[in-house]
Amino acid sequence: MKKIVGISDMQIGTDADDQLITYSLGSCIGVVLWDPAVKVGGLLHYMLPDSNIDKVKAASKPYMFADMGIPRMFKEMYKHGASKNRMKVYVVGGAQVMDRSGIFNIGKRNYMVLRKMFWKNKVMVTKEDVGGSVNRTISLYVGTGQVRLKVSGKGEIDL
Amino acid sequence: MSRIDDILSLVDQVPPFPKVARQVMKMLENENIKVRDLADVIQYDATITANILKTCNAAYYGLSRKVTSIEDALVVLGQQALKDIIITSSSVGFYKGKAGAGYLLEEGDLWKHAVAAAIMAQLLSPQFAGVDKGAAFTAGLLHDIGKRFISGFVGEELKKIVSYAHGEKSSFIEAEKGVIGISHAEFGALILERWDFDEEMVKAVRMHHNPLALEEGGLVALVALSNTLVISMGVGVGADGLAAPMEGESLGRFGITHELLEKAMSELWFELEKAEEMINLVK
Repeated sequence: MKKIVGISDMQIGTDADDQLITYSLGSCIGVVLWDPAVKVGGLLHYMLPDSNIDKVKAASKPYMFADMGIPRMFKEMYKHGASKNRMKVYVVGGAQVMDRSGIFNIGKRNYMVLRKMFWKNKVMVTKEDVGGSVNRTISLYVGTGQVRLKVSGKGEIDL
Repeated sequence: MSRIDDILSLVDQVPPFPKVARQVMKMLENENIKVRDLADVIQYDATITANILKTCNAAYYGLSRKVTSIEDALVVLGQQALKDIIITSSSVGFYKGKAGAGYLLEEGDLWKHAVAAAIMAQLLSPQFAGVDKGAAFTAGLLHDIGKRFISGFVGEELKKIVSYAHGEKSSFIEAEKGVIGISHAEFGALILERWDFDEEMVKAVRMHHNPLALEEGGLVALVALSNTLVISMGVGVGADGLAAPMEGESLGRFGITHELLEKAMSELWFELEKAEEMINLVK
C-alpha cells in the first residue's frame, strides 16, 4: 500500500508491498529507516529543528520537530522489532533559498540538529542527499529496502 | 510577432477580476457600510455567494451555528474575514485545473501555495508597520498569478530554463526572464494593473522575487518574505525548487529573528489544516 507522509508526520510500513513516500522536501528533512532483517521501514518528514519555540504545538505535533520527532521515530521502529545496529539510515532535504545573510538557513539548522543527535547516539547514516536549493521527494519500498529520490530539475534516482 | 509580443498580448485576454468582488472591496473600505447594502451586491454573483457560505461554514472559522445567508455571514464573520473570503472565492477560478503545469506543479498546488502565502502574510503582518491585514492576505493570494498565465510558455521551454539557470548559476526566475523574456512576477504585476489593484499591491507582486525586496519594507517586504518561507517549506513548489534568491540582512529592522520565522512556519502549518475547505475550493 502507498502511504503518503505529510509534513510533520511519520509513518511505519510493515508489509512487503508498502511504499512510504513524502513529497516536496524543501528546508524540511526526510529520514528513512529500514531494517533488512525484519523488513520494517519508517519515514519521517520534520519541518523545524527545535520544539522549544512552542511546547504546546509540539505536544500535538511532535513530528514537526527534529528534537522530538527523531527519537520518537526510532522508538516506533524498535516497537516493530527493528534494531539500531541493523538499520539503514537515509537523510534527505535540508535545502534553502539563496540568501547570504543566513536567516533563511532553516534547512541547515534542521540538518545540524540531526547530525548532533545521531553522533551522540552513535547512529551511522547510510546515505544522504542534503542541502542545495532543490526540492526533493523520497520514497521507500518496505519489501526490498529500495530508496528512490526525486530532485527538482534533475529526475529520479536510487539513493 | 515575437514571442514576447505574444506573451504581452495575453494580458489583454486575461478575464476580468470578478466585478462583484471589486465592488465589495471598495465598499468595505468604508467602515460604516451597511450589511444590507453589501448583501445586495454580493447576491448577484452566485459562485461567490456559494463559496462564501461554504467557507464560512468550514471549520476554519469555528462557528457554532450554520450560516445560511450572506447577511448572516457578514454579521458573524466581521469585515476582515469577509474580505478575505470574497477575495479567496473570486481568485480561486484562476487557479483551477492545470494552472501551474508548466512549472511541473500538480493540480491544486499553485492554489495551495497561494493560500499558504496569504495566511503567512497575514500572520507576519504585525511586524510590518502600516500594512493592512486584508492587503497582506490579498497580495499573498495573488503574488503568483502570473504563473497561471505564462505556465504554457514556461512548460514549452522548461528544459532551456533549467539549463540556463544551471549554466548561468542564476535563480529560476532570472532564467525564466532570460529564456521567455518576462518573469511570472512581472507578468503578474501587469495583470494586477489591468485588474485595477492599487500601486502598492502591484509593486509587491512585481518585486516578490527581487533579492532586495526585504529592504523596501511594507507590503513589498511582507509578500517577498511570506513567499520565501512558504517556498522553504516546500508548499506548492515545482521545477523552480528553492532556487530563489532573497537577501535577509534587513529583517532585523522589523524585529524578525530565526525564532520568529520558525514560530510562523509552525503556526502556518496549523492554520493550513484549518483552511482545508479554502484549499479544496479549487477542486
